Amino acid sequence: MRIHTFEVPGPLPLLDHDPEIVWISPGHALAGFGVAARIEPGTGPDRFNRAEQAFTGWLGGQQLVDDFPGGGPIAVGSFTFDAFSSGSTLVVPRVTLGRRGDCWWVTTVDGADYHPLLHPAGTSDRPTDRPRYAGSSMPDVLWLDAVAAALAEIEAGRLDKVVLARDYAVWSRVPFDRRRLLRRLSERFPECFTFLVEGLVGASPELLVRKHGMAIESVVLAGSSRRSPDPAEDEQLGKALLASEKDHREHEPAADSVRRVLADACSRLESNQEPELVTLANVMHLATRFSGRLAGHYSALELVKRLHPTAAVGGQPTDTALDLIKALEGMDRGRYAGPVGWTDRRGDGEWAIALRCAELSGARARLFAGAGLVAGSLPEDELEETRVKLLAMQEALGG
Amino acid sequence: MSRLEQWDAALLESLQASPGETMSLEEMASTTGISRPLLEALAREGLLVPRTPGRFDPTDVAAVKAGLALVEGGLPLGELLELARRVSEAMRPVAAEAVDLFARFVRDAVEAKASSPEETADGLVRAFRAMLPAAGQLVSSHFATLLLAEARRRLVAADPSR
Repeated sequence: MRIHTFEVPGPLPLLDHDPEIVWISPGHALAGFGVAARIEPGTGPDRFNRAEQAFTGWLGGQQLVDDFPGGGPIAVGSFTFDAFSSGSTLVVPRVTLGRRGDCWWVTTVDGADYHPLLHPAGTSDRPTDRPRYAGSSMPDVLWLDAVAAALAEIEAGRLDKVVLARDYAVWSRVPFDRRRLLRRLSERFPECFTFLVEGLVGASPELLVRKHGMAIESVVLAGSSRRSPDPAEDEQLGKALLASEKDHREHEPAADSVRRVLADACSRLESNQEPELVTLANVMHLATRFSGRLAGHYSALELVKRLHPTAAVGGQPTDTALDLIKALEGMDRGRYAGPVGWTDRRGDGEWAIALRCAELSGARARLFAGAGLVAGSLPEDELEETRVKLLAMQEALGG
Repeated sequence: MSRLEQWDAALLESLQASPGETMSLEEMASTTGISRPLLEALAREGLLVPRTPGRFDPTDVAAVKAGLALVEGGLPLGELLELARRVSEAMRPVAAEAVDLFARFVRDAVEAKASSPEETADGLVRAFRAMLPAAGQLVSSHFATLLLAEARRRLVAADPSR
């Protein structure tokens, strides 16, 4: 088969034709149509390597024609949070529309027809409904007890931090419109990574790793505060977050876990010494930004494997936290809190953590939200934090 | 009230249950089977108010159980807590005003009619004991009426032929 990548005049209507695959980040945008290859790497910590090997193997049998410098086929994937849950996938679309900076390009596999995709389509007038509550894997009154049980483990000194999540199922009288959801998310959170991979839709603020050549970047977000419509109060909330001991206790293990992994793979690694404030539409976070130069030829997916799960979604120490999550959460996270992103044939790529997301399946959806627990956390505050996060997603899903 | 009169002291005493009648959260959890973390959260949120530090009135158990009945009926706890916080905030000034009304119209009038401090104290305690449950009844049945009216309004709006 022949895989052809070429530049086209932009802008392209990425979302108009209801792509099955979407990735929108500040620097990149991808929209994928049809499936040329679908890789299921199975379970286990090596699922990342197996996915990459399968992608490279598949590419080996293709004839690659690149008329776009640095272009070529891209695989977009999402991986389960738990190494032993099934559902990890990497997909190579038959047609990919892409943007890098101001350049627009198209990749086709085996001469797939891409012409109709270049033209804007009229806006849909599909009927809409609202997200309707269907229940949770664990009623939140029991989730509160689970949070208290986790905090007791922290108080007893068995771990420093654990992230507990809960899910929230919704349904609708008509299928959810993923296109509208993606538009809303990318407009409301332009600084986030908006994604759609096999029904998993979301807008994540958290860059797990970006690799271009030998350069890598990563951003750790942990510790957060609500925002206020009143600018003076908003500024106060920001200052309070920067000064909050509890939030620093939540942030530091997350930053440390990423620093350790990256330092091991890099010849040079820089980061801000003190966490800085990152402000999104509905929430603000403490952030540590890393940038570095790799000491060897590590692929983006190899780095993902080493980084996942960071303390921003698991805890510290990791293994104790994962055991506790398994014992207390009462659900399978699926691909929530797992890596989501893309990779190319050079092993470059951009991977985020699938937070602020929903698993869409026709007229049903499963939403997720989590909260990081450290000494000093209060169960009712964590319940409220997840409630507010779930509301934001329901709002984005609304008619 | 600028200073505590003798009869106010009697009223205050009757408001405070004796220690034997209060219970700790631990005791409340073990007698009701309601989870300790939930009771602690309710206390921190100001939805369970201790009579004396760390000691709660056994009658509060009924309110917690009523809340749990709503959760069992399907309301998520998180949403219910948020509503409870707002109700609590909205009711606080109303409660202050009601106490003020009691002071102006009951306390002062009882005092005017009484012939001795003991009689004032007695009259106040009796009035308070009769009026507190009445106030509770008034608020709860009014809220039930509002709930029904709102539900009816929505159902009718959905089908005006009814």
